[in-house]
Amino acid sequence: MGKLALSLTINGESHDVLVEPHRTLLDVLRTDLGLTGTKENCLDAECGVCTLLLDGMAVNACIVLAVQCRDRTVVTIEGLAVGAELHPLQRAFIDAGAVQCGYCIPGMILAARAYLDENPTPSEAEVREALAGNLCRCTGYQKIVDAVMRAAGAPAAAR
Amino acid sequence: MHFEYHEPTSVREAVELGARFGADGRFLAGGTDLLIQMRRGQLRPRHVVSLHRVPGLDAIDVDGAVTLGALVTHRRLEREPSFRGALQALIEGAEVVGGHQIRNVATVGGNIVNASPAADVAPVLLALDAEVTCLGPGGERSLPLEAFASAPGVTARRPDELLTRARFARLPPHSATAFLKAGRRRAMEISLVCVAARVTLDASRERCLDVRIVLGAVAPTAMRARAAELGLRGQPLTAQALREAGRAAAGECRPISDVRASARYRALLVATLVERALARCGERIRQAA
Repeated sequence: MGKLALSLTINGESHDVLVEPHRTLLDVLRTDLGLTGTKENCLDAECGVCTLLLDGMAVNACIVLAVQCRDRTVVTIEGLAVGAELHPLQRAFIDAGAVQCGYCIPGMILAARAYLDENPTPSEAEVREALAGNLCRCTGYQKIVDAVMRAAGAPAAAR
Repeated sequence: MHFEYHEPTSVREAVELGARFGADGRFLAGGTDLLIQMRRGQLRPRHVVSLHRVPGLDAIDVDGAVTLGALVTHRRLEREPSFRGALQALIEGAEVVGGHQIRNVATVGGNIVNASPAADVAPVLLALDAEVTCLGPGGERSLPLEAFASAPGVTARRPDELLTRARFARLPPHSATAFLKAGRRRAMEISLVCVAARVTLDASRERCLDVRIVLGAVAPTAMRARAAELGLRGQPLTAQALREAGRAAAGECRPISDVRASARYRALLVATLVERALARCGERIRQAA
């Protein structure tokens, strides 16, 4: 089958692409649109590095076909900052020293963003559960959880 | 992975496409199993029929019997307020599947049709005596979920049929359910063993009127532990009776040894999890009283 013309709305901007139906959203973002903030690793929906927001929900972009995203809203890590102003989660990850090699961080931040939208005042255990689908092979989980709690405005004593 | 892509906007159109492509086509729901199997080359459909624009398949209906549309996601099951209480096992089965990214898209219909021996929601539906409905060019047919899966990945669904819903009767008074799972870690894990239990006690909450014990990941399909169920029926739920039920279930299961666990360990887990799941049902019934 030939290519399909699609209009994708990514970080509020419309992008016209021409893609074969088997191409994943992850592949199209990285290869066709140069949006490489969304990372690629296991391609089995196990590791979470390709997490982005599809209609506000955290999903693994490695198992979403680009053609399925017509008329839907995609937010990637590139869409979180407003101009030079970092998103509070991005700021909290820096302030908490939560970034080691950095590869898992875009997915961590977007999974955290989706969860905080739903539950703005989580417990640490809830944050850990919310990030269960995101692996960090530097194993820097504690500071990642600390960063999310910081972004949620939890007082230090509660952490 | 090359295929033609189709995006029907009604159940009727989806079924027509399914009938046209037969075994050359696949319905795509959450994609958490299908797209991975396709990328690995285990499945090579020539036509993929995405269901995400088909309305009417994503409802949870709790008037009278409980109906779950095939496109209800695990996320929806976890958050369904009417399942708190007697149907808690549906929440417990859904919330242990994958991480949020998976549960946001993975569907009830996919869990049933994929027929993994280690599925987590399907055993709960079996414990609820659910029936499933398939819609094909010849019309609709319903069959017990227990008769649906016959081997890993093999079901009674014909290639031209769409699974549209699962349905089960509301539970009688003094009933509870529980789901327990053992894995090597707490999240993102395929079950080594999972157990779904349903218990109905008599009005004095002493004796067991009805019971279902379903075991996952210890046979080619989720299976009922019928001998264990039979031993409990009419009996008080004593610690001794629960232990015997666990032992009976361990004797009935047919686990394999694989990279995750040995058959012997799985049988031991069955004995323990069955005992605990039944105890939890008993506690829940007493708490609700």
